[in-house]
Amino acid sequence: MSYPLLALIGVAAAVVCGVALTLIAFRRRPRIARGRHLLAVAATVLVLLALTAVFDNIMIAAGLFHYAPGQLFGLSLGFAPLEDFSYPLAGALLLPAMWVAFERGGTERRRDFAQLVLSSRPVSWVNTAFPFGAAYLLVAREIDWVLLVGVIYFLIPYNFAMYGINDVFDYESDAANPRKGGIEGALLSPRLHRPTLWIAALVNIPFLLLLGSAGGPASWAALAVSAFAVVAYSAPKLRFKERPFLDSLTSSTHFVSPAVVGLLLAGASLDGPILLVLAAFFLWGMAAHAFGAIQDIAPDRQAGIRSIATAIGARATARLALLLWAAAGILMLFAPWPGPLAAIIALPYLVNCAPYWFVNDENSGTTNRAWRRFIALNFFSGFLATLLMIIEWNQV
Amino acid sequence: MGALYLLLLLAGIGCMLLLDQRFKLFFWHDPAIALLVTAVGTALFLLWDVAGIAAGVFLRGESAVASGVVLAPELPLEEPVFIVFLVLCTMVVFTGSARLLARSLRAGAADRGPSSPQRADGLALVPGTAERSAGES
Repeated sequence: MSYPLLALIGVAAAVVCGVALTLIAFRRRPRIARGRHLLAVAATVLVLLALTAVFDNIMIAAGLFHYAPGQLFGLSLGFAPLEDFSYPLAGALLLPAMWVAFERGGTERRRDFAQLVLSSRPVSWVNTAFPFGAAYLLVAREIDWVLLVGVIYFLIPYNFAMYGINDVFDYESDAANPRKGGIEGALLSPRLHRPTLWIAALVNIPFLLLLGSAGGPASWAALAVSAFAVVAYSAPKLRFKERPFLDSLTSSTHFVSPAVVGLLLAGASLDGPILLVLAAFFLWGMAAHAFGAIQDIAPDRQAGIRSIATAIGARATARLALLLWAAAGILMLFAPWPGPLAAIIALPYLVNCAPYWFVNDENSGTTNRAWRRFIALNFFSGFLATLLMIIEWNQV
Repeated sequence: MGALYLLLLLAGIGCMLLLDQRFKLFFWHDPAIALLVTAVGTALFLLWDVAGIAAGVFLRGESAVASGVVLAPELPLEEPVFIVFLVLCTMVVFTGSARLLARSLRAGAADRGPSSPQRADGLALVPGTAERSAGES
């Protein structure tokens, strides 16, 4: 296909969709000033064409890109071929039409949006994107589209699905828990529940397909496990979060599976040393979940919700978490250099939670103090882990 | 020098967002739909790029101001950033001109008298007072 044909197809598609969306907008909002809208579109086309005439010339002169010989129509404005103007033209015809067809504005819309963003726990976004990005980069050793798409996926859509599904199906019990509603979770208004599930599905599926297209069956399995764990944790009937021990296993999968996906997409084989590190990470994740569940024992029991902590009690759960963290640290001692250094990362967690060795069900709520420190500790650990990965990076 | 193009694009995106914020045009008017338009626009432009690359039309240059990082054959790291900038620029220009047109027409109507029908829309350039203006204009 030559560039003139490509440009023509792009502009034609934009015109068709743009006209359709504009008609939808005019039907949806009878009071809209139609002439004024079309005038604004015309102004946008003119401004963008003028900007393109200037900056496309500069960009081509700077040697940023060029065109295969014999693929152009032949007319050009300076360096800029006529076909290049198809991009801003298509954009100006399609995007504003899409905007007026759907935008509503208003404080309530902005508040809803803020609530949806908050429900995905922005403070935790990096906890899933980082394992993927670090694992992928350490194996692939270059930035490519898979890294970019994967990091974006595990940064936002993945967390939106994980916490969104959770907030929808936990609404009733969360409403009874004063801890939810801030940094540790947002209460999603019931009228946002259906949109949340739809957005989660519509945003996650394309990313999963795109990432799957970059790998083989092993990575498909990892993506499937990852997505299943996200849904199964809180979706009705499955409700893994209410099945003692399976709750901690699933929660840890939420953070380890992005790393596994990253390793497999980058083409690594999961052999001894890598498995050792993943196992340590997995134990760390289980400990984190188990310890976090202690603070909710009272509200959970009140609401009739089961968890690892309600099943074996505050003290046993705290001790299990401490043992899991210690085991994770010990496992790292057997990893190849600089792995043993990572054993140090377990120490702050042990120090943070050791005071709760004798915690009981009555004062289980006090572990919230350690939980808050835990969230801060993760950033520090991420920093240490990054330093170790830089050592590993420079080793090869 | 290698990061110059990327930095300029990011600065451009930053400027668009500042304008957006100052006049409540796009993300600051309806963030959900703004995100949708940006995501769909970026995906479509990228698809267009990939089609051009597959057809052998677009070739990446070895420019001194580019980072040299390629996401895929002939697709530099800067391209998706440029596309996001193009989408934001398009939407800020559109919502901005819609706002300006609304204001100038309203000013003209005000000159003709208070009973003029254009006043019914209640549009203004002052931030925060033009809740529905960008789309209505």
